Amino acid sequence: MSDVNSSTGSSPSGGSIRRSSRSRSRKKKKNQLPIGVALLALIVAFGIFLGTRNEQLVLFWITGLAFGYILQHARFCFTAACRDPYLTGGTNLTKAVLVAFAITSIGFIAVHYGAHLRGAPMPGSAYIVPISAATAIGAFMFGIGMVISGGCASGTLMRVGEGFTMQLLSLFFFVVGSLWGAHDFGWWKLNVILQGKAVYLPDVFGWVGAVVVQLLIIALLWIAADKWADKKSQEA
Amino acid sequence: MGIKDNKYYKEWFKGAWPYLTGAILLSLFQIVTLVTTGNPWGVSGVLANWGAWIFEAVGGNVDKWYYFSSEGAQRTLEGGLLNHGGSIRNIGIIVGALLAVLLASGFKIKKIKSMKQVVAAVIGGLLMGYGARIGFGCNIGALYSGIASFSLSGWVFGLFLFLGAIVGSKMLVKYFM
Amino acid sequence: MKEVELDCYGEACPVPLVKAQNKLKEMEVGDVLIVQIDHSCAMKNVPEWARKEGHNVEVEEIDDGEWEVIIEKMK
Repeated sequence: MSDVNSSTGSSPSGGSIRRSSRSRSRKKKKNQLPIGVALLALIVAFGIFLGTRNEQLVLFWITGLAFGYILQHARFCFTAACRDPYLTGGTNLTKAVLVAFAITSIGFIAVHYGAHLRGAPMPGSAYIVPISAATAIGAFMFGIGMVISGGCASGTLMRVGEGFTMQLLSLFFFVVGSLWGAHDFGWWKLNVILQGKAVYLPDVFGWVGAVVVQLLIIALLWIAADKWADKKSQEA
Repeated sequence: MGIKDNKYYKEWFKGAWPYLTGAILLSLFQIVTLVTTGNPWGVSGVLANWGAWIFEAVGGNVDKWYYFSSEGAQRTLEGGLLNHGGSIRNIGIIVGALLAVLLASGFKIKKIKSMKQVVAAVIGGLLMGYGARIGFGCNIGALYSGIASFSLSGWVFGLFLFLGAIVGSKMLVKYFM
Repeated sequence: MKEVELDCYGEACPVPLVKAQNKLKEMEVGDVLIVQIDHSCAMKNVPEWARKEGHNVEVEEIDDGEWEVIIEKMK
């Protein structure tokens, strides 16, 4: 029992729970820090290698590493954010995802508006895509898939890094499914997507209006998520 | 005093950050990504390229497919994995997560436990891959980046993602647990 | 007072949490549930849920990437 409360940093400081005094023969923990440091050296080496080819690749490498590190270290999981309100009644992650939406929105609109002022083409306009039945069907399929396979796109990659064999398998079939989808994409585009229309909120509400509307929606969803968790907690 | 008891080691590398810290840091790097690359963060579009490379490695050909027909898509396919920023970033996510786990001294290979997990991984992976292609992205590109780009499509994607997650939860409890 | 071990090794989210919720429902106040997990997300969400419900919770790291979440049912 000596290392109860140690190292995970998530235990309360109160007294320990009494358990039956079954002595557990424990393996001595290996220290993985040196392997981590070695990996860090490899990461730097690969970054330098990429730099000799193309400077921008180094940026992709660094941001990828940062995303992976952040997702893992904060246990940030979009799947749980969508699933837990229904399944377990928890909404902490849902609220955190909403906060991420809000902060990123503010940053993005600043970038958009800056480009607008300079008369430059808007960065990221490729992500404002038409809304059609394909959006709904695709999102619905994705929602089912991420819950049963235990990870969304970013989450699956992160769990592969964490050593999950199951997510390695689902990553492979994610790739296969992507290829399948790409194969059928022409049909979807012609018959479904072309009927849709892309809507950029500032075109509808104006710059300030769009920010106000979007942040208001996020705030309302945040409150709804908060109240939902309280309600589910009392029912249990 | 060993490094493992060091206060800063524990705070930065061990344990876990609060979700809110994650939200703020992800937002920061999303903005960095948009400013520097001209596009927000996306994950799943890259995986279609991985699929095409694997398919071509085993003798297939995607040149006639509408999805890969644009000049840019062709150039990406010809450039290969090591010249493709999106691929490098996805590999970075895997390696970054591995680094986080190793620095916390918590890496362990988790073996597949049952046939149910295999079936769930296969079906789930296929649904995500196909869904992401016709829905213009995944939880990152279509949802997170879509909403943050003030595209209404992001909110529509989110609504149906949520409905799908409920159906998925029911299936998970019924068949895969 | 009973002590129950719940083996969730190799189970990804949300399986450990759902199993723990179901198990704890069957147990009496004062019983102790030990959830064994090797999924770093469950190491966060299982204790978080149990604490929110007002139970006593401890997390013990028993090996690299393996934890036991010890929950004493309080109500």
